[in-house]
Amino acid sequence: MRKRTAIRALRLVLASLPAAAPLLAGPPPEPPPFYAIEGVRVEVGDGTVLERATVVIENGTITAVAEDAAIPAHAWVIDGEGFTLYPGLIDAMGSLPQPRRSPGGPGAGGPGPGGPRRRPDPDRALPRGPEDRPLTTPWKRAADDLTLDTEAVEAWRKAGFTSIAARPGDGLFPGRLSLVRLGAPGRDPEHQVVAPELAQMATLSSGGGFASYPGALMGRVAYFRQLLLDAAHYAAATAAYEADPAGWRRPEFDRTLAPLAAVASGEERILLPGSSAVEINRALRLGGELGLDFTIYGGQEAYRLAGELADAGVAVLVDVDWPEPLPERDRDPDADRPLREILHERLAPTTPAELAEADVRFALSSGGADGAADFLAGVRRAIEGGLEPARALAALTRDAAAVHGLDDRIGTVAAGMAADLVLADGYPWQESTRVEAVFIDGVRYAVSDGDDGDDGDDGEDGESAQEAESAAAPDGAGPRGRRGRGGPGGRRGGSSEALAPMRLAEVAEKYAEVAGDGRVPMTGPYREDDVLAITGATILTMTGETIENGTVVVRDGRIARVGSGVRPPSGAHVIDAEGGYVIPGIIDAHSHIATAGGVNEGSLAVTSMVRIEDVVDPTDIGIYRALAGGVTTINVLHGSANPIGGQNQVLKLRWGQNADGLRFQGAPPGIKFALGENPKRSRSFGQGPRRYPATRMGVLDVIREAFTEAAEYQAAWARHREAEAAGERSRPPARDLELEALVEILEGERLVHAHSYRADEILQLLRLAEELGFRIATLQHVLEGYRVADEIAAHGAGASTFSDWWAYKVEAYEAIPHNAALMTDRGVLSSINSDDAEEMRHLNHEAAKSVKWGGLSDEQALALVTINPAKQLGIDDRVGSIEVGKDADIVIYDRHPLSSYAVVQTTLVDGRVYFDRELDRSRQLQLAALEAALTESGEDAGEGEEP
Amino acid sequence: MRRSGLSGLRRVLATAAFLPVALLVAPEAGSAQTLAVEGGTVHPVSGPSFEGTVVVRDGLVEAAGADVATPAGADVIDAAGLHVYPGLFNAFTSVGLSEIGSISATQDTTELGDTPHVKAIEAIHPASEIIPVTRANGITHTVSAPSGGPWAGQASAVVLDGWTVEEMAIEPSVGLVLEWPSLETREFDFSTFSVREKKFSEAKRDYDRTVDELGDWIEAARQYDHARSNAGSGTAVEQDHALEAVARVARGELPLLVVADRARAIRDAVAFAEEHGVRLVLASGRDAAMEADLLAEKEVPVILGAVQALPVQEDDAYDGPFTAPGRLHAAGVRIAFGTFDSSSARVLPYETATAVAYGLDPEAALRALTLGAAEILGLDDRLGSIEAGKWANLIVTDGDPLEVRTEVRHVIIRGRDVDLSNRHSRSYELYRSRPAPP
Repeated sequence: MRKRTAIRALRLVLASLPAAAPLLAGPPPEPPPFYAIEGVRVEVGDGTVLERATVVIENGTITAVAEDAAIPAHAWVIDGEGFTLYPGLIDAMGSLPQPRRSPGGPGAGGPGPGGPRRRPDPDRALPRGPEDRPLTTPWKRAADDLTLDTEAVEAWRKAGFTSIAARPGDGLFPGRLSLVRLGAPGRDPEHQVVAPELAQMATLSSGGGFASYPGALMGRVAYFRQLLLDAAHYAAATAAYEADPAGWRRPEFDRTLAPLAAVASGEERILLPGSSAVEINRALRLGGELGLDFTIYGGQEAYRLAGELADAGVAVLVDVDWPEPLPERDRDPDADRPLREILHERLAPTTPAELAEADVRFALSSGGADGAADFLAGVRRAIEGGLEPARALAALTRDAAAVHGLDDRIGTVAAGMAADLVLADGYPWQESTRVEAVFIDGVRYAVSDGDDGDDGDDGEDGESAQEAESAAAPDGAGPRGRRGRGGPGGRRGGSSEALAPMRLAEVAEKYAEVAGDGRVPMTGPYREDDVLAITGATILTMTGETIENGTVVVRDGRIARVGSGVRPPSGAHVIDAEGGYVIPGIIDAHSHIATAGGVNEGSLAVTSMVRIEDVVDPTDIGIYRALAGGVTTINVLHGSANPIGGQNQVLKLRWGQNADGLRFQGAPPGIKFALGENPKRSRSFGQGPRRYPATRMGVLDVIREAFTEAAEYQAAWARHREAEAAGERSRPPARDLELEALVEILEGERLVHAHSYRADEILQLLRLAEELGFRIATLQHVLEGYRVADEIAAHGAGASTFSDWWAYKVEAYEAIPHNAALMTDRGVLSSINSDDAEEMRHLNHEAAKSVKWGGLSDEQALALVTINPAKQLGIDDRVGSIEVGKDADIVIYDRHPLSSYAVVQTTLVDGRVYFDRELDRSRQLQLAALEAALTESGEDAGEGEEP
Repeated sequence: MRRSGLSGLRRVLATAAFLPVALLVAPEAGSAQTLAVEGGTVHPVSGPSFEGTVVVRDGLVEAAGADVATPAGADVIDAAGLHVYPGLFNAFTSVGLSEIGSISATQDTTELGDTPHVKAIEAIHPASEIIPVTRANGITHTVSAPSGGPWAGQASAVVLDGWTVEEMAIEPSVGLVLEWPSLETREFDFSTFSVREKKFSEAKRDYDRTVDELGDWIEAARQYDHARSNAGSGTAVEQDHALEAVARVARGELPLLVVADRARAIRDAVAFAEEHGVRLVLASGRDAAMEADLLAEKEVPVILGAVQALPVQEDDAYDGPFTAPGRLHAAGVRIAFGTFDSSSARVLPYETATAVAYGLDPEAALRALTLGAAEILGLDDRLGSIEAGKWANLIVTDGDPLEVRTEVRHVIIRGRDVDLSNRHSRSYELYRSRPAPP
C-alpha cells in the first residue's frame, strides 16, 4: 500500500516534465542537472546495502550517498521511498544497438557470421596468407560508428542498462571494444562514449574455407600467433629506429600492426573467445604462450574450469544466452539428444555461480541474447543456477566495470562516481520489477507508466506499459517498434522447455544415485592403480618373444616386469586374462579424430605454420571408441589439401583429459606433406579460383620453392646471430612461423609425413628431399610403394599404408593389398594405418590382411600396427612393445589379435584402464539411467511460463 | 587322375601377367565338364558337415557326400585337409557398375530421376577389374544394384565369372531398389562445418509427401496393370516401362529392396509394404536392430550393410553396429550381408566375422553369407548350399573363410575352377620379381 503511494507520488512529479515538449520544434529542454533521491534503499553494487539513504546527483556525478546527506537547495527532490537505487547495469560485452544495415553496407573487413553476404570484390584478391591481414582491422573501434537504433537503445535503458561494452564489427581482429552509454543518442552520440578503447578483441570464428586464408580453426589460431609476433617485431623495429635512426631505413608505418603492438607486449588487454571448455583451455594456453593480458569471453562451459581460471587469474565475460533445446514441435521425436548436450543445457547457467564460488573475476554479457529482456532472462536463469542475487548485481555493475578497468568511475553507487543509476522496486531481472527511472551520466530518463493514472493494468503487462513509457522518454522517441524488445516477459522468459539449471555437484549426486554400486566414471579411466598385474595371458611382446601364460606387472604407469613365472606383487590389482592375448597398445600412424574446426587449412599451398595441437578436441567420442579397438596412440595429421600442410600432433588416448593431457610428451614434432590428386586439386573443393599447383610438377615446385625460402630465412637468422655475437649492430629478422617449421625440417628436427600414392611421385619426393638435404620420415598411404620399395628403403623412409582400400580414385587404382608385405620384404619400415575413425577400431584385423596378402608372419603383421609405427613416429623408446621400462600401453584380447573374431577386453594407457568391455556395459547402463533421470518430465521443469 | 591344371589360355595369361600391362583374366570357358572336389571337409550349409567329395557336372552339383566316388575322367581338386563351402554371396553391391570411385565416367549406378524399369545387368561391365579381385576372396556371386531414385531400378544377381554378362547372369531382376526418402532434422553444413538443425515439422511434411507419392506409384501401377490386361488389343493405354516395372512389385513377382537406415524409415517402409501389399526386403538397415521385433513379426528379411561401422550417436554403444546382426538374428529376423559398394566387395567375410565376434551365431553367419541370402532373394533353388542339382558355386579354403588369415585355394563358379589371379596378384607378382635397382 505504502509502495503504491510512493509510485503515485513519483509519477506526479514526473508528469510535469515532458508536457511542454510537444510545443517545441527542437528537442525538449534539459532540466537542471541536480537531483536528490531521498529515502531510497541503495544497493551499492559492491555487495553492500544502505537501507535508507539520500543520493545527491550534480552535473552527472554522484556527490553524496548517505542517510543524512544534505540536499542542495537547487536539487530536484525525488521521493525514493519504497524503491531501490542500483548502479546502472552494464552489458560487459555486447553489440551496439544499431539500425539494420542493408546488404552491401560498410562492414568490418569481410564477411562474418550473421553478417550480410556480400558479393566478392573482384578487384580485391582473396587473402593468400597472413601478410594479407585477412579480416584484421585493429585500428577500428566500436565507438567509430555511433549510428544507433534509438528505440533499441531505449529498450535497453528501460530495462535498467546504462552502458554496453560494445564490440566492434566482425572479423578475426575486428578492433577495440568501446564502452558506450545508453543515453538518448540523438543529442550527441559522442557524448555517450565513456571509453573508446577498452580492449582489443579476437574472434577465431570467421574463416574463408578453402577459398581464402585462414580457412580452418587451426589456420586462424596460427594467424593469431603470427600476427602478434609481427606486431612485436614491428614495435621492436620501430623502437630501435627511434632510438638510433642513423643508417637505418625507417620502418614503414603499419596501421594494422601498430595498435596490436601493445597487445603483443602484454600492455593492452585483448579479449579471446572461449565458450566451450576446449575453447577456454585453448584461450588459456594461447594467452599464456604469448604472454598476453587477456580476458575470455563466452565462458558457457566455464563451470568445468572454474579452478583453472582462478589459478590463471583470468577474467571471464560470461555470455548469458544459454543453450536451449529446440521447442518440442521442432524436434524429431526419434532423435536422440546426446547426454552431453542435455547436461550442458542444465549446467551452463550455473557457470556464474561456479565462477563466483571459485573467486574468478567475471561479468555477464548479452552475447547472442536478443535484447535486454533476453539478457535479464539469462540472468534469472543464472540465479536459478545458484548465483547469489547480490553477486548477480555486482556482475552486472561493479564487476563489469572492473573487468574493463572502469570501476573507478562507474559500476557503484558512491560519491564521486558517475551518475549511472537505476531506480526500481526490485532487482532488475525480476519479472515483477518496475524500473521507475534511469539516470545516465546524470540525465534522468523516466521509465514509469507516465501520467495516464491508469493504475488498473500497469502491473505485469509489459507491452502496454512500454507503450506509455515511450511518450515519457526524454528523447521523445516515437511509440514504435517495442514489440519483443525490452520489458519483462520476452521470448526467453516464456520458454518453458529448458530444464532447471543443475550444478556439477548435483549432477554428480544424481549420477551416484542412479548408477548405484559399481559406478564408473562418465569419462576418464575406469581404474587407476599404482600397481597392476595382468596374468595368465599369452603375451605377444613384439620384441620377437612370445610368452605363454605370462604376467605383466605395471607400476606407476610403466611396465615393471614381464615373464612367465612372475607373480603379481602383493597389493597389485590383478587382471585375470587367462586364455587371452596381450599385445602392446595399437598405434595408428594416420588419424584425424579428436580435432575441431577442420583438418585442412586448404587455402594456401604451404601451411606449415598451422598446428593440429591448437585444435585438439579431447571430447571426441572417437577417442573412446578407438580405445575400445585397442588403439592407445595416434598420429593426428593435417589433411592433404596442400603440398606442405600443417604440423601434426601425436596423442596418447588418455580419455577424459584435456588437450594438453592427451599430448604425447616427447614425441618428435612432424608435419604433413601431400602429393598427387589432392594438393593439385584434381577434385574441386567448392568455388573460388583454382590454387597453384595444378600438376604434380607444380606440387614439387611448391615444395622446392618453400625450402629455398626457408634456407634463406635460416641464413638470415644465422647472419644475425653471427653479427650479434660479433657485437655488431644487427636487427633480428621478423619471425616467420611458416618458415621456422621448414627450417626445423632442414635441421632434422621435424618429421615429414608425406601423403602420396603413385610410385613416380613418391620417388620424385624422395629425390627432392635428398636434394634439399632432409629425409622423409614416413610416406603416408604410399599405395604404389611396392613399385619403388627399394628406393624407399634406401632413402630410409617409413611407409604407412592402408590394408586393402583401392579404386576410390585413379591414383588408388594400382593399389594392392600386398603393399605392406612387399615393402616389408624389401626392407621398408612399414605400418598399416586407418585414416578413419571406424577403420582404426580394428587395425589388428587390417594387419592380419598382410598375412593373407603377401605372406607376412604373425609377428611381422602385428608389428605393422605396434612397434613399426612407434619407430616411424620416433616414440619406440616409450611405446610399441611390451618391455620393462616402457609405458604400460597394453591391450588384452580374448583370442589371438589377428583372428577376425578377436575382441578387445581391456585397454590400458600408462597403466590406467581406459577401456574395459565389462565396465563399458556398466557405463552404457549408467549413462542411460542418468539421461533418463535428467530428462524426467515434470520433475525439474523450468520455471518459465508460457507467454 | 588329372589335376585341374591351367588351361592353355590361362598359361598364356599367367606369363603375360608378368608384363607391366594390366590384362583381363580370362573367364573360364563354358565347356567345363566334370570336376570332383575330393577329401575335404564339406560344409553344405543345408545340412551337417562331412568329410567327403563333391562331384560337379555341367555346372551343377551332381553329388555330395562322404561316400561319393569321383567319376572317371573327372578333373580333381584334392581338398584333403581343406574345407569346402558354398561360394559366398555378397547380396548387395555395385560390382560391375562402379569402377573408380572418384571418376564419374566409370559410374553406372545412379540414373537421373525415377527409373524403376532400368536393370543393373544392362550396365554391368564383365571386364571390371573388381570382379576377379572380389572372387579371389571367395565371393562367387553378387547382387549388383543401382542407386538413386527413390525408384533406382532393378538389381541383378550375377556370378563373378563370364565372358559376357549373359554368362554371368543368374537372374536379371531380383528386386526393385527403392531408396527410402530420408527425414533429417540435422544436416551437416559444409559452408560452416557445423551441424545445422532443421525444423522437424518442415522436414516431416516434405518426407510425408514423398512417401505418399511412392504409394501413388504403386497404385498407379496397379491401375495400369488392370487397364492393360483387361483392355485387350487396341488398348488406349500406352505402354509405360516404369509402371510396368512397379506393377511387377504390385503383383508380388518382385520384392521391393528398400534401402533404408533410420528406424523411422524402416518402420514406415514396413507399414508401406503392408498397406500396399508388396513384398519387402530391407537393405542396408543401419538401425534395423532397433526394429528387430517388428521385422521379425512382419517377416521382413534384411540385407545388412557395413557391420564395421561407427555408431550414429555419440551416446550409442561403441559396438552397436557390431552387435546388430546378432540381435536381429536372435529376434528371428532373416539376414544376409552386402557391402553396398564395388571395390571393397571382397571384405564381406570380415564384416560378417565382426558380427560373429560380437554375438552372431557362427552358423547363422555362414548361412547368411550363402543359403540365407539366396533364400531372401529367391535364388535358393539354384544357389546357397552344396546339394545335388544346385549351381556349383563352391570355394575351397584352408580354414574358416571368415578368418582373415584363411586362404581361399579354389573358387568354383558354375562348375569351373576359376583363375584366382587378378589385378592385385599380378601387380604383386610383377613387382615382387623386380630386380634390385643398380
